[in-house]
Amino acid sequence: MAWRLYALDLSRLEGPAEGVEASPGVWDGTPGAQEGYLASFYPLEEPWEARRAHPLPWPEPLYFVDGRERAEAVLSDGRRLALLGCVAAGAVVYQRGNMRLLETRVRRVGVGLEEALRLGKLVYEPLPLEGPPNPGDVLTALQEGLRKARTLLEEQLAEALAGGLLVVDGPVRLRRQGPVLGYIKTHWARYLPEDREALLSTLKPGERTPMFRVRRKGQELASWYLRLPLPPEGVRPPESGLLRVETPLQGDFGALADLSLSLFPALASHPVKDPRAPQNLLPVGGLERELSRRMGSREVVGRLLARYLGGG
Amino acid sequence: MERIGVVLGSREATPLEFWVGVEGEGLLRLDDLVVVEGFHPKVGKVRYFGMVDHVAKVHEGESFDTDIFLAAEGKIPVSLAYVAHVSVTRIVPEEFFPPDPGSDVYLAQGEDLELALYYDAMKNQRGSTKLPAGFLKNGEVAYLNLEFLSGVKGGHVNISGISGVAAKTSYATFLLKSLLESGVLEEAHQARVLLFNVKGEDLLFLDKPNLRLSEEAKEEYRRLGLPPTPFGSVRFLAPPRKGGEGILPDVETRLEGVKAYHWDLVQFAQKGLLPFLFTDKGALTNLGFLVAHVTEKLRRLAEGQKGPHLLVADWLGGELPEGITFDDLGRVRLKSFSDLVRYLEYKLLGPETGEGEGDRTWTARQARGTLEAFVRRLRASVENVAHLVRGDRKGNPPDPLEGGEQVHVVDLAKLSPQGQMFVVGSLLSDLFAKKERGQYRGRVFVVLDELNKYAPRDEESPIKDVLLDIAERGRSLGVILIGAQQTASEVERRVVGNAAIRVVGRLDAAEAERPEYRYLPTSFRQRALILPQGMMILHQPEIPVPLLVRFPFPAWATKREEVLEDNSAEALRREFF
Repeated sequence: MAWRLYALDLSRLEGPAEGVEASPGVWDGTPGAQEGYLASFYPLEEPWEARRAHPLPWPEPLYFVDGRERAEAVLSDGRRLALLGCVAAGAVVYQRGNMRLLETRVRRVGVGLEEALRLGKLVYEPLPLEGPPNPGDVLTALQEGLRKARTLLEEQLAEALAGGLLVVDGPVRLRRQGPVLGYIKTHWARYLPEDREALLSTLKPGERTPMFRVRRKGQELASWYLRLPLPPEGVRPPESGLLRVETPLQGDFGALADLSLSLFPALASHPVKDPRAPQNLLPVGGLERELSRRMGSREVVGRLLARYLGGG
Repeated sequence: MERIGVVLGSREATPLEFWVGVEGEGLLRLDDLVVVEGFHPKVGKVRYFGMVDHVAKVHEGESFDTDIFLAAEGKIPVSLAYVAHVSVTRIVPEEFFPPDPGSDVYLAQGEDLELALYYDAMKNQRGSTKLPAGFLKNGEVAYLNLEFLSGVKGGHVNISGISGVAAKTSYATFLLKSLLESGVLEEAHQARVLLFNVKGEDLLFLDKPNLRLSEEAKEEYRRLGLPPTPFGSVRFLAPPRKGGEGILPDVETRLEGVKAYHWDLVQFAQKGLLPFLFTDKGALTNLGFLVAHVTEKLRRLAEGQKGPHLLVADWLGGELPEGITFDDLGRVRLKSFSDLVRYLEYKLLGPETGEGEGDRTWTARQARGTLEAFVRRLRASVENVAHLVRGDRKGNPPDPLEGGEQVHVVDLAKLSPQGQMFVVGSLLSDLFAKKERGQYRGRVFVVLDELNKYAPRDEESPIKDVLLDIAERGRSLGVILIGAQQTASEVERRVVGNAAIRVVGRLDAAEAERPEYRYLPTSFRQRALILPQGMMILHQPEIPVPLLVRFPFPAWATKREEVLEDNSAEALRREFF
C-alpha cells in the first residue's frame, strides 16, 4: 500500500506524540541530561569567584552556525509511520565590521522512508529509522531522526568553514582545527555542585564563572557560565540571563573564555524584540529568520502534501 | 541586452504595472526604461515595455526600525531588497495578460527603447517626425512627435514652472531652435516666429553667440542634430521711449539692431485696436457694446486716410484745445493719442463747457453713466499707450509675417500691464486675421509667457478671446501657440487643454497638487518640486508616461555679459564702414 497522509500537524496526533513534544530532550539541544557531570566536577580556574575581562576585538572571520528543523507531515502506509520534515542549516559571518549571510542549506527528508518521495517540486530523501522499530514510541524515534538530520547538516556546513572562530548553537560536537565555541541557552543539566552554584545568581552582566571541565562521550571540554544583559536589570531572576559556553579543552581555551565576555553580551538580543532574549543571539536570530524563509511556507507545503497524498 | 532583475512575485504583477527586484550590482533608476518578455501558450510571446517610476531599498524581514542600528554595527545579518515599480508604456502585441513573476527584466536599449517610447510611430508618408526635444536620463536623445506640435494631429505647447528656476523661456527657445533648424519641420524656412519678451531683456540677444557655451554643450547640440549657433535671422522690436524727441527704442542693454515699434492713429482706427485697451470688458456689458460701436465708427472715420495723423471734420471750433492744426480742407488734425481721446470725449459727452449732449451717432443710445465710464478708462490709458499709438509719425507696428527675418522678438518688458495687453492683443488679432485670410502660407509660432495674465481663468478680455481662438482654431490655420505660465491652474482651461505638448519645469508644492497636473504620475509631480534648472518633464499624447528631459545650455546669449564679441577684422570693418 502506498504512503498516505496521516497528519499534517504533529500536535493533533493522539497518544505518545504529545508527550514527545514536551520532552526537553528534543528541544533544548542538551539531550541526555546526565547525573554524571556533577560527580566529575573539576574547576579549571581558582578561586571560585566572578570574573571580568578587558574588551577584546572580535576575531575575523567570526562564524555563527545554526540549524532549524520542521516536521511537515506524518505518513502512514497502513503498517508503518514515516515523518516528512525539512531541515536547514546556515552560517553568518562577521567580517570587516559587517555581518552577512554566508551560506544556507535546506534538505527535505522522510524519516522512515526507504526510497525518495517526489511530490511535485518537493523531494524527500529517504532516511531509514535506526534500530528496531519500537511500536510504543515510533513518533519519538521519527523526531529523533529528523533532529539527527539537522545536526548532520549543521556539522557538514561547519566543517567547510575555514579559519577564524566558529560559534555554534548547542554543545560542541564537531571536531575542528581552529577554535570553536558552543553556547547552551537552556539549562536542564546541572554542572555545578550546590556550594558553587550560588555564584550563578550573583553574576553581573558581562561577568562569568571560572572555567570547569566537562567530559562528554570521550570529549574533554572547558565550560563556564556567563551572564548576559537583560534589560531592565533587576526585574527578572538572575539566572534568566545565564548562558553556558563550552570549548574543547585544547589550545588557549582560557583566552576564549575571556573573549566570550566581549562577544556574547554584545550580541544578546533585547526582550522587547525577541521572546527568547537574551540568549537567542542577534545574528542567530537573523539567521533563523532566513532559514525559515528558505524552508518555504508551512501552509504552501501543507497544501502540496495534501494534494499529492490526499486526506489529512 | 542587459538583465537587470526579475518581476516580483510578492507583489501583484499586472499588465499595466509591476514590480521588479533588482539583482546584484544592477542599477535601476527613476525613468529608466525596461522590457519584459511574457509568454502564454494561447497568445504567444508578449513584450511589456515600461518606465521605472518608483525605486526603493529596504531591509527585508526586519520588523523593528531600530534593527538598523544592530545592522549598522554588524550584529545582525540583513537582507537588502532593491525593488522598482514599473509603469507599462506599451505592450506588443496588445494582449493584456500579466507577466509571470520571475520573468527576466532587461534594460530597454536601442530598438527596444524606440518601441518603449513609440519612436517607431513618429513618422508620416514623407519621413520621420521625430523632433529632438532634449536628452533622456540615459543620455539618449528624447524626441517628441512633430505632428502633435505642428498642427497635423495636434498643436500648441504649454509650459508651466516657477519663474527664474524653471527656465521656461529657455526651453521654449530651445524648442524653436529645434523646430527651425533640425530639418524635421517641412518648409522650416517659411515658418515665422513671434516671440514676446516679457521681462528683462533676455531674448534680445538671440542672434549673438553665447560666451559661456562649452565644448561639451556644442557636442550635445551636434548629437541632437542642431548647429550650436545662435538664431540666424532675428528682428528685434521694442516700444519707443516715453517723451523726448524722436523715436528711440526703450532698451538698455542692447544698443544696436533694435527698432522701435508703434502704431499711428490711422492704423489704430483702421485695424480696430480700440478694444485691446479695455481689458475688463466683462465688467460692464453695455461698455462692451459701446467699445464695439466706437471701434466701428473709428474704422469708418479712418477710411481712405493715409495718416499718420487722423483727420476729423466734425470737431467744432472754439472747443479746441491748443496746438491743434488744420489741413487744407479745414479738417482738424489729431496728432497724438491724447488728441484722439479728447475728440472721443467731445463726441460722446458733448462740449466740456456746459451739460451738452454727445453726438448721437457716436453714443449708440448708451446711458451717460456708460459713456462716462468709457471716457474715464480711455483717459486713464493715455499715460500707458500714448507712446505706442501716435499721430506724429508713420506707424511701424511689428508684423512677423512681413520682412525678411524669421524670428520677430517684440519687447514688452518696459510697458505697463495695459500697454502689454494692448500690444499682445493687437499683434495676435492682426496675425490671426491675416492667417485666416490666407495671406501667409508658412506656419507661425507664437511664444508668449505669462499666459495667466493674457488668458486668465476667471476673467473675460478681448485678448483672451484671441488666445482662445488661436488655441482652438489656430492649429488648422497654422498658428501654433507656445504658451508659458507659472501656474497652469490660473490659465483658461481651454487654452491649456488644447496644448498637445505639455512641459513642466520646477513647480511649487501647492501648484503641483492641482488637477491641472493630474496627467503626471505621482512620482513626476513629486519630482517637479525638485527639478533643477535645465530639466523639464515633457508630456506628449502618444506616450502614456512623461519623459524627464534635459536640454542643452543656450547657444545664444541671454544677457549682455554672455555675448561672445566678434572681433574679427570682418566684423569690425562692417561696424565702421
